Amino acid sequence: MIIVVTYQWAPDPQEATVAADGTVDFSRAKPQISDYDATAIEVGRALADATGARLVGVSVTGGAGAAPVATKAALARGLDEVLVVSDPRLEGAGTTMTATAIAAAVRSLGEVSLVLTGDSSIDNGAKMVAGVLGGVLGWPVLTDVTAVRFVGEGLEAVRVVPQGVQTMAVTAPAVIATAADAAKPKAPGMKDVLAAGKKPVRIMTADEAGVVIRAEGVLRSTGRAPAPARRMVRIDTSDPASAGAELVSSLRAAGVWGG
Amino acid sequence: MSFELTDEQQLTRSSVREFAEADVAPIAAEIDREHRPPLDIVPKLGELGLLGMLVPEEYGGVGMDTVSYCIAIEELSRVCASTAVLVEAHSSLCTWPIVHYGTEEQKQAYLPDLASGAKIGAFGLTEPNAGSDAGNTATTAVRDGDEFILNGQKIFITNGGFADVFVIMARSTDAPGTHGVSAFIVDRDTPGFTIGEPEHKMGIRGSSTVPLFFSDARIPAANLLGQEGKGFNLAMATLDGGRTGIAAQAVGIAQGAFEAAVAYAKERVQFGKPIASLQAIQWMIADMATEIEAGRLLVYQAADLEWRHEPFATHSAMAKLFCAEMATRVAGKAIQIHGGVGYTEAYPVERAYRDAKITEIYEGTNEIQRLVVSRAFLR
Amino acid sequence: MPTYVLIAGTPAVADLVAMAVSLDRGVVAVVVGDESLARAASVPGVDTVIWLQASADAALEAYAGSVADLVTDPGVVLAGRNPWERVLLGAVAARLDAPVLTGATRVVAEGAATVVTHGVYGGIAQATVAVEGPVALVLDGGAALAGGGTAPVETATAAPTGITQASLTPHQAPAADLAGAARVVGVGRGLRSADDLPLVQALATALGAELACSRPVAEGLEWLPKDRYVGISGQHIAPDLYVMVGISGQIQHMGGCSGARVVVSVNSDKDAPVVAQSDLVLTGDLYTLVPAITEALERSGHGQ
Repeated sequence: MIIVVTYQWAPDPQEATVAADGTVDFSRAKPQISDYDATAIEVGRALADATGARLVGVSVTGGAGAAPVATKAALARGLDEVLVVSDPRLEGAGTTMTATAIAAAVRSLGEVSLVLTGDSSIDNGAKMVAGVLGGVLGWPVLTDVTAVRFVGEGLEAVRVVPQGVQTMAVTAPAVIATAADAAKPKAPGMKDVLAAGKKPVRIMTADEAGVVIRAEGVLRSTGRAPAPARRMVRIDTSDPASAGAELVSSLRAAGVWGG
Repeated sequence: MSFELTDEQQLTRSSVREFAEADVAPIAAEIDREHRPPLDIVPKLGELGLLGMLVPEEYGGVGMDTVSYCIAIEELSRVCASTAVLVEAHSSLCTWPIVHYGTEEQKQAYLPDLASGAKIGAFGLTEPNAGSDAGNTATTAVRDGDEFILNGQKIFITNGGFADVFVIMARSTDAPGTHGVSAFIVDRDTPGFTIGEPEHKMGIRGSSTVPLFFSDARIPAANLLGQEGKGFNLAMATLDGGRTGIAAQAVGIAQGAFEAAVAYAKERVQFGKPIASLQAIQWMIADMATEIEAGRLLVYQAADLEWRHEPFATHSAMAKLFCAEMATRVAGKAIQIHGGVGYTEAYPVERAYRDAKITEIYEGTNEIQRLVVSRAFLR
Repeated sequence: MPTYVLIAGTPAVADLVAMAVSLDRGVVAVVVGDESLARAASVPGVDTVIWLQASADAALEAYAGSVADLVTDPGVVLAGRNPWERVLLGAVAARLDAPVLTGATRVVAEGAATVVTHGVYGGIAQATVAVEGPVALVLDGGAALAGGGTAPVETATAAPTGITQASLTPHQAPAADLAGAARVVGVGRGLRSADDLPLVQALATALGAELACSRPVAEGLEWLPKDRYVGISGQHIAPDLYVMVGISGQIQHMGGCSGARVVVSVNSDKDAPVVAQSDLVLTGDLYTLVPAITEALERSGHGQ
């Protein structure tokens, strides 16, 4: 049995700088395995240990993610092996292109019972990879899952929705996106770091994976994210009571308090 | 030559940083304020392999290279110098001499528990009248059949308050000066061996520093570590490596203070703009960054020489000498950049300054380091 | 090439419908849920409502394949951010091989092409792209639809596949409805202890507001349940009034509340990033200011 965990070797946009023309500079931001993906790997490791499954990491990259430091970083977190689809044309690939490439890699592995993804990609943050991936594979998809286990031929997944805690029966194979708090990822141990370089790594091009690269729209322009214009009115707080009163009258004037 | 860290060294840094920020940083100010050793996280340190870094794999350790070891110490120190010195003294001063001088039986008996963190190690050389002058060691070890009987006192013993295994220097022969000193492995529960009250220190307050007392403490003769009468050489070789670890600690303390200063300089607005836009601040930042980088290179060079079995004692002394004073300077500037709030406990830089100072003193004062370095050129 | 709006589980998608109507290509609402939801979706501007009746024990996600079957010729497909909405949209995007864009602020029809201005890299920058062919957009849903249109409701039959609900354990406490709240009070790391939460809850009660928080308060400290954290990766809120207590205003948080009409911040640091993102700024000790504000609100009478 194979359990796949998707992961990404990407910098955190919060560490990037954005120029006035919207150009994003990632040179000071180090690529990493995000907490989201580390959580998915942690969940996958526990499942694989419980079932005797092989835990395979699948990643899509424009190139950086195929470097040994990137694959070792993923392997040190507990994956048994990794499969990387690496192609310069996949640099900056959107959700659909990425999910299509992941799907191709998953299919190449054969009998996969489950694909786990993180809650959200660190670079895009759209929480859409799992949905598109399931669509491409034709597998059921459940997201925001806090706990998952194999039961008989299928899976049992738990998630929290506004109505309560849902326990779902999911047929396998399936795509499950783990909630951000599905597990608390542990930092890789020193032994894991040293062992990572000894685990199997396979790297395939988009052509080898059978992925057809398509442009996802034509970029017209970029810009800074528009900040909502705020008034930045400072209320004197030297006397808390009068500050409270002044705030209340300001809220009234803004039409958000009182009649 | 290449200045690039290996993948494993880079991953050691990111992993230890991840752990340090998640588990150590949140308690760093608290254990300092409360003079409390971070015993809660010892199991986690063990689980991560941070207590077996210098122990070979066959004895349950990680067997990692000394540059990686220094990176780990550096990253722990960046958030908490007290936690770092727990790991450093345990590793460099207790596991290292057992690995390098221990008999097979001693290694089997002690290293697996030390590497896992089931037991913590300490090192006892300093005495009231024998600090830098180790030849003046007054603690005695008298042979009695299959045992040695220890009598005397040690002071300023890092980890002593909770350590389980001690490497202790004691005079076992009548040979003069350094020649009569031998090393022994002493278990905490040895009758006649008692631990004194912890010191109230200026810095590294989360580190346990205690005196040790030996009053007819009987230990098995099999616990003699290395050759009898060669304890001084063992201690000096141990400290040669330990100095690189302390230098790494200093770099980490400096790095933490530097990052705090940079963040503050960008946030703090005076005269209508962030103080980072003022040249006076920019120059301090430039000097701090340059000094830290210079120190880091000295540390990695000394560690790499040691790992490649090249002579490294002069380089480790240079690294400790430079990095310790550098860390005090950098932490001082970090306070200066913070202004008044930097002098308060609200910000981490005053702790960095207090913690940095000890690196100029322990595991050989900087005056001793200057002696070591000068001898290499003047002999 | 009509514009499709995917509606599942909740009618709170008025902003999606408004955007669909503005494209003027005809609007088809595909509804997964009960009949009342389908009727609510028939609002002015919607030309057709296609209703897939969801069975009680199937997950809404189980209709992903059926929904993808129905969306055959779209220009733009829109869906909200709820988990099931995202999965349905993902299935459609996969079927059509359509790009997925998130956080669109402007969508314009240019002949057969659609020009979308949307946030990239989690919203730190934005890009404008022209897409020939179908494009899937994820957006904040907005207010609830309430019917009143003339579009006929066509019933489509669908067999749910893959996911059934085995059980549902209702929450002990009612779940937060941050997305729909008119007023929200958010609390961050400026609060020293979970024991001090009543101080902030009292403010929320006085305001008739929902209590929310920054991510560390929910996930690291676990002082509040995680459905109450606001941020790029958490709840997206757009209340009339958002009062931030002890929140520094990092983009991770502010990305979840940029739609708030009036933002008030109470923070000890007069230079915190939150200041530039607030309409009304109170700098000082929250332990003094929050009770003072609460008292002033209580003295001023009821909010409504």
